[in-house]
Amino acid sequence: MPIKVLVVDDSNFFQQRLKEIINEHPEMQVVGIAANGREAIEKAESLRPDVITMDFEMPVMDGVTAVRAIMAKRPVPILMFSSLTYEGARITLDALEAGAVDFMSKNFAEISSDSATLKHKLHKQIKTIARKASSSASAPAAASRPARSASPSKAEPGRLKNRISLLVIGASTGGPVALPEVLKTLPANTPFPIVLVQHMPENFTKAFAERLNKQCRVKVKEAVDGDFLQPGVALLAPGGKQLMLDKRAGRVKVLDADARVNYKPSVDITFGSAANGYGDRVLAVILTGMGSDGCEGARMLKNKGSTVWSQDKESCIVYGMPMAVARANITDEVLSLKDIGPRILQEI
Amino acid sequence: MGFGDDEDILQDFLVEAGEILELLSEQLVDLEQRPDDTDLLNAIFRGFHTVKGGAGFLQLNAMVDCCHVTENLFDILRNGKREVTSELMDVVLQALDAVNLQFEQISQREELTPADASLIASLERLVSLEDLNDSAPAAAPAAAVEAVADTEAAVPEGDITDAEFESLLDAISDEGGAAAPAAKPAPAEEPVAAAGGGDDISEDEFEKLLDQLHGKGNAPAPAATPAPAPAPAPAPAASGGDPDGISESEFDDLLDQLHGKGNGPGRTEPSAPEPSSPAPAAAGGGGETITEDEFDALLDQLHGKGKISGDAGTAAKAAAPAAAEKPAAAPPKAAPAPKAKPPAATAKPKAKAPSADAQKPPAARAARDGGGQQANVAAGETTVRVDTQRLDDIMNMVGELVLVRNRLVRLGLKSSDEDLSKAVNNLDVVTADLQSSVMKTRMQPIKKVFGRFPRVVRDLARNLKKEINLELVGEDTDLDKNLVEALADPLVHLVRNSVDHGIELPANREAAGKPRIGKIILAAEQEGDHILLSITDDGGGMDPDKLRAIAVSKGVLDEDAAARLPDSEAFSLIFAPGFSTKEEISDVSGRGVGMDVVKTKITQLNGSIEIQSAMGEGTRIIIKVPLTLAIMPTLMIMVGRQTFALPLVSVNEIFHMDLRETNIVDSQECVTIREKAIPIFHLKRWLVNGAAFEESPEEAHVVIVSVGTQRVGFVVDQLIGQEEVVIKPLGKMLQGTPGMAGATITGDGTIALILDVPSMLKRYSG
Repeated sequence: MPIKVLVVDDSNFFQQRLKEIINEHPEMQVVGIAANGREAIEKAESLRPDVITMDFEMPVMDGVTAVRAIMAKRPVPILMFSSLTYEGARITLDALEAGAVDFMSKNFAEISSDSATLKHKLHKQIKTIARKASSSASAPAAASRPARSASPSKAEPGRLKNRISLLVIGASTGGPVALPEVLKTLPANTPFPIVLVQHMPENFTKAFAERLNKQCRVKVKEAVDGDFLQPGVALLAPGGKQLMLDKRAGRVKVLDADARVNYKPSVDITFGSAANGYGDRVLAVILTGMGSDGCEGARMLKNKGSTVWSQDKESCIVYGMPMAVARANITDEVLSLKDIGPRILQEI
Repeated sequence: MGFGDDEDILQDFLVEAGEILELLSEQLVDLEQRPDDTDLLNAIFRGFHTVKGGAGFLQLNAMVDCCHVTENLFDILRNGKREVTSELMDVVLQALDAVNLQFEQISQREELTPADASLIASLERLVSLEDLNDSAPAAAPAAAVEAVADTEAAVPEGDITDAEFESLLDAISDEGGAAAPAAKPAPAEEPVAAAGGGDDISEDEFEKLLDQLHGKGNAPAPAATPAPAPAPAPAPAASGGDPDGISESEFDDLLDQLHGKGNGPGRTEPSAPEPSSPAPAAAGGGGETITEDEFDALLDQLHGKGKISGDAGTAAKAAAPAAAEKPAAAPPKAAPAPKAKPPAATAKPKAKAPSADAQKPPAARAARDGGGQQANVAAGETTVRVDTQRLDDIMNMVGELVLVRNRLVRLGLKSSDEDLSKAVNNLDVVTADLQSSVMKTRMQPIKKVFGRFPRVVRDLARNLKKEINLELVGEDTDLDKNLVEALADPLVHLVRNSVDHGIELPANREAAGKPRIGKIILAAEQEGDHILLSITDDGGGMDPDKLRAIAVSKGVLDEDAAARLPDSEAFSLIFAPGFSTKEEISDVSGRGVGMDVVKTKITQLNGSIEIQSAMGEGTRIIIKVPLTLAIMPTLMIMVGRQTFALPLVSVNEIFHMDLRETNIVDSQECVTIREKAIPIFHLKRWLVNGAAFEESPEEAHVVIVSVGTQRVGFVVDQLIGQEEVVIKPLGKMLQGTPGMAGATITGDGTIALILDVPSMLKRYSG
């Protein structure tokens, strides 16, 4: 059974390109094309695609409105195409909040100058989000699913052996929805600084930080080089850069990206520097995301005696990064998304 | 450059972008009338957005840049952060022109010229909510520099450290075997090395962290897949490196700790062939493109093989940082590395090549097979794009079919077989339907031509300081594609003429008691098998006496003839070659060639053109063209023993009359019809060999034909009837014969020449 894809884009040119690229993959098939949001809603209903790729800028009805309507009717994993501008970021975050699973840059040249890599990325992205749909329920449902009681943790629930002096959270695909879920539970007077690493392009992190700041009681800002680590303040690693922690100065360092590190920002880098600076006083949480970034950093933290938690498979949009730490036996507790916040509260 | 070479994709883009750009020019002019229309602003934004998207896909960067700023500007406009002003519109229209120019270049397969830097700068100033008139020179360079990209910011520091980098390279080459793998990552890491000089401490720290992460073995991961971005941004910005970072010894301790669990990089057996095959991937990681599949496989391998492979990774990874590190730092770390490198280097090509080969062909094949199937499955689309050449071919064949039908119909009439005539009748009906269906496929709304006028009128009016509203009526009228294209130029000329000569300056209009804003109506409607186009202005109108006087002074007419010329025909004088009423020649119109060309062009389309004008009230120019060019309804006539076809468009009426009652006026034979003298000509004298001086018969058929605003009568021997013919061009030898438009095959299988009335009159009656 090939993955059935519905392409939504008002540009005939892009419709055709996406169709060609997607159909090139033997396991994928474009079953329909919609030129605007309203058509998308109709075709999502009648064609029952496994995945929808959605443009934002369209006549008649824009992408976000369509995502909202589709998710309300019959949830389907949706991949948004967006421009990687600040404005585009705000819209994309709207779409993610409305239930879209992930996004890709519409400017294909930005993704890769090489068409083979581009195709590969698109295929992989579609495959991943389609797999998610078949293995469990859809994105927004994850947040509202009844709690999975009793986390299969090895550590004793309750207070950890060390007092936490830093909370670090890493996330990728699905993070824009999962992170607020966790952060919202934290009070304004959270007694330790928080550092967030979310895989995101440049421009996006600023909009994301602003959005988080509005949604949460803790203060959230996009980290700037030299920012102080303060209790009750969450710093979000800026996209396209690397964030390192300097315990002694109590500040963060923002470094330009390096070709050797795949992710910008990288969870490994931030976690690793946290391990070096804070030793055993760190609580690290790995949330939903593709790949295995964070695993090595978590291992370093673990080796120093810090605590590592990871999100469970059921509540993840993509169970990749949490799976990596769980498999490597680094994780102390596997928690459902909605339990993570309350569990952190217990440690305050 | 992935897609740029693919002709089909480019064509797709050209078609779509072409449509959008045409629409944009209309929408932009509309916008000036309705600056607050959010839907319109959204639509324009989307237009630029879509063109940018396509251009980005094809990596037409010059076009992307121009569309990008314009798109941003409209984003600001639609969010109400800026008002639409005429000055702003001027800039936006310039931007559209620039994109249009680039579009032309793309369709000509020429190199793109980037949009004018000052244009981009003005757009950027508008985007950043600055005033256009603000000290431009100060702002412009700033904006330009910004646009050039941040990467250049690092260049100045680079100068010093380039040397360092070179020496580093040298140092590395000295290590012999290590040179090869090290050289590859080098170019990609240049920025890192270059910037390293500026900020040792934090850079080192970062490197260490990387090492630590790598040290665990699994993590060649981050290094193995280079970021797809073409050039990594230069490393550490000037952030003041705190001196109290983690010290070297602390780091070593940590490494020892980590290695205590593993086996330590120094002790790795270089001979272990299995684990070292993934390792080179890490070594080359800086510069090689490793697909994610390979990366995944590598990860699996690493995970699966546990500690051993992890250590091999450690050894290999040392090669990567070694390339970037300063010579001083290199020795301790590089020490264990050389051992691991040689096997690594050899393993690398082996490991990479087969995997790449093995994956690609099946994948490609599968894709192709899949693609074929899916093309069939994915129905549900309701439109197909067809090359117009194919439509032309079909039209041609239908034309042939029409001829065969004509012939069969003629034969059917002769036969008394009822079945045959029934079948022929059926064929007749079906052919007619087919013909009109095929014609419809070639139909395009006249909007395609009309669309450009709002812009033309706007620009011209702004130039001439006139105020003009253009109204478009019947934009959806369909006509043959070829006609749409052929009409474009003449119409532009006529509209320009109306703006330039027709509409008066606002002050003059007010003085004449007219509204300040002039009005031009461009209308199209279908009338039977014709299209009527009219351009109506409420300007000053034309003065027939002035036209007569000019005609005399230019030697187009003598005074007598001019005096006798009725007003309606006097207006047509503007179509005479070398006729211009404007004393000064503007760059808009008035060179006196244009109207002549317009007339010729319309005539070529088997159309007619007529002018109505009233002093002080305005002028109306009416163009009548057939719906299609390929099939022409004609009146078949016989002259001598030859068949000729007269375009039915120009035929007004037919009389059977007594030729003894003709009068000679101005040495021209005339008949009087409804109290109007109409010149008559004997076609036989012109077209039949040796009949030039034949006596005229007592009675004959006279076909009244209109030519421009005149009417003339042709005396013919015999009338055959009305027939639709397909025009075939004359052979090379006969091409350009005056009076002949082409040839066709008639229903009885003979060849008939199609007459070109205006050129025939010019040739014979003059």
